[in-house]
Amino acid sequence: MQKMDCRNFKELLDSYLCQELAVETNHAMLSHAEHCSPCRIELASRRNLRQALRRVCAEDRMSDDACRRLRALLQAEAAAQETVKAGWKERLGAMFKLPLARPAMAMVAVLVLVVGGFALFRWQNLNRVSALQLSEELMTDAAADHNMCAPYAKGETLHISKPETFMAFDEACLGLEDVLKAKTVGMELRSAHVCGLKDGRRFAHLIYKRDQEMVSLLVTPRDQQAMKLGQLPDLDTKDAGIQETHREELSIGAYQTAKRVVLVVSRLPNEENEKLAQTLALPVVAHLRQIEGQRAFLQWPRTEVIAIVKGGELK
Amino acid sequence: MFPDSAQNSKQRLQTFEAEALGFTDQLYRVALRLCRNREKAEDLVQETYLQAWRSFHRFELGTNLRAWLYKIMFNVYYSGQRKDRLHLVPAEETIAETIAYDPPTPQHLTEEEVLAALERLPRDFQIPIMLADVEELSYREIADVMEIPIGTVMSRLHRGRKTLRADLAKYARTAGYKIEEK
Repeated sequence: MQKMDCRNFKELLDSYLCQELAVETNHAMLSHAEHCSPCRIELASRRNLRQALRRVCAEDRMSDDACRRLRALLQAEAAAQETVKAGWKERLGAMFKLPLARPAMAMVAVLVLVVGGFALFRWQNLNRVSALQLSEELMTDAAADHNMCAPYAKGETLHISKPETFMAFDEACLGLEDVLKAKTVGMELRSAHVCGLKDGRRFAHLIYKRDQEMVSLLVTPRDQQAMKLGQLPDLDTKDAGIQETHREELSIGAYQTAKRVVLVVSRLPNEENEKLAQTLALPVVAHLRQIEGQRAFLQWPRTEVIAIVKGGELK
Repeated sequence: MFPDSAQNSKQRLQTFEAEALGFTDQLYRVALRLCRNREKAEDLVQETYLQAWRSFHRFELGTNLRAWLYKIMFNVYYSGQRKDRLHLVPAEETIAETIAYDPPTPQHLTEEEVLAALERLPRDFQIPIMLADVEELSYREIADVMEIPIGTVMSRLHRGRKTLRADLAKYARTAGYKIEEK
């Protein structure tokens, strides 16, 4: 045990007076005080001071009145807390006891389900629609390609590329003019070739002459650059529809298969171009779908057109 | 359908009253030194108990309830008088420093004399002395309750007692006691 000196004695004095010391330390304190007069006086003095202070302060008590008020206040506070807590439970409980509460709640639940389901369907459909939007760049490229090739097709010579050229680009595009033979009565095939733009977008390009107007049918891969959101969503037959847009004087109508985009470009007014697109592009789409291993739509469901892009805006 | 919580709440209040209301006088004594006004001190104690009741669900039974109540009381007091937070004022320190010895406390002092000496003591010293010598809180508890470092508690206690004893020694001299000076 540490030796008890005057310094230790003073340090431990408070604890000694509070009777917080171990028996051994207590004993050491008393032994030290017995032999050391200043510490003995200090101990007595501190004890006197404590006793004097306690004596004086013991008389300060809360008045009975204040104590009563305190108790009443606590009880009121507890009751108030209980009322608040029980309040909403009672109200909720009471609702269930009303005679028409259960049928009304069932109706509300059904209504919520119906409205929620419809909203979910619309939301999913809207997502699907925006996911299937073709990119502005694709439309611009198609217009540029038409402008580039159409003037050459105006001449006398019919230009048909070699089968190897189509084979090298896209086997499915070989002989598209034959697929369209029955649909192009009154139209003159001027060219069937494969062409490309500087940025790498390539097309199988069929050009028809109808009256004095040149009409392009373009087939190009449905890749990420072809899609507005840059992602390739799965395409089931129900989702495909025509998307239309303008580039200067050109009208463009586009359809999609799972792997390809078929576009019809001409100077014809929008409505006429749309009809022509249905006439020319849909048989090609059906043909491509067969090749892609999907079911062919002989009669295209016009009502399922899901997105019409005009001036770049979804309508 | 819902559990009857009223009974639980009633029991909880009974527990709180049984455990906590025994300390009203002790809290009031310190509140009186803080407020120096009976009415205000009663209000302070009342507010302390209200706050304690609202937080009672967080209190762990079996731990130091008295120190917890003191702590709440000082919080309530401090929040009511932000500018009046107890802190050492240089002038008060110099008073204590000028006393070169610890005069012994005479045994036969009247209550008025002790009370007057206590009242004369600066509050920064008075409160720690009250908490230590009257309420028997440990240094650590005082530091925690007053939100001051434990070293400051010890220094205030030492200086406060010195000042108090020097003051009380005057009464002893006038009463004819012989003071043994170091």
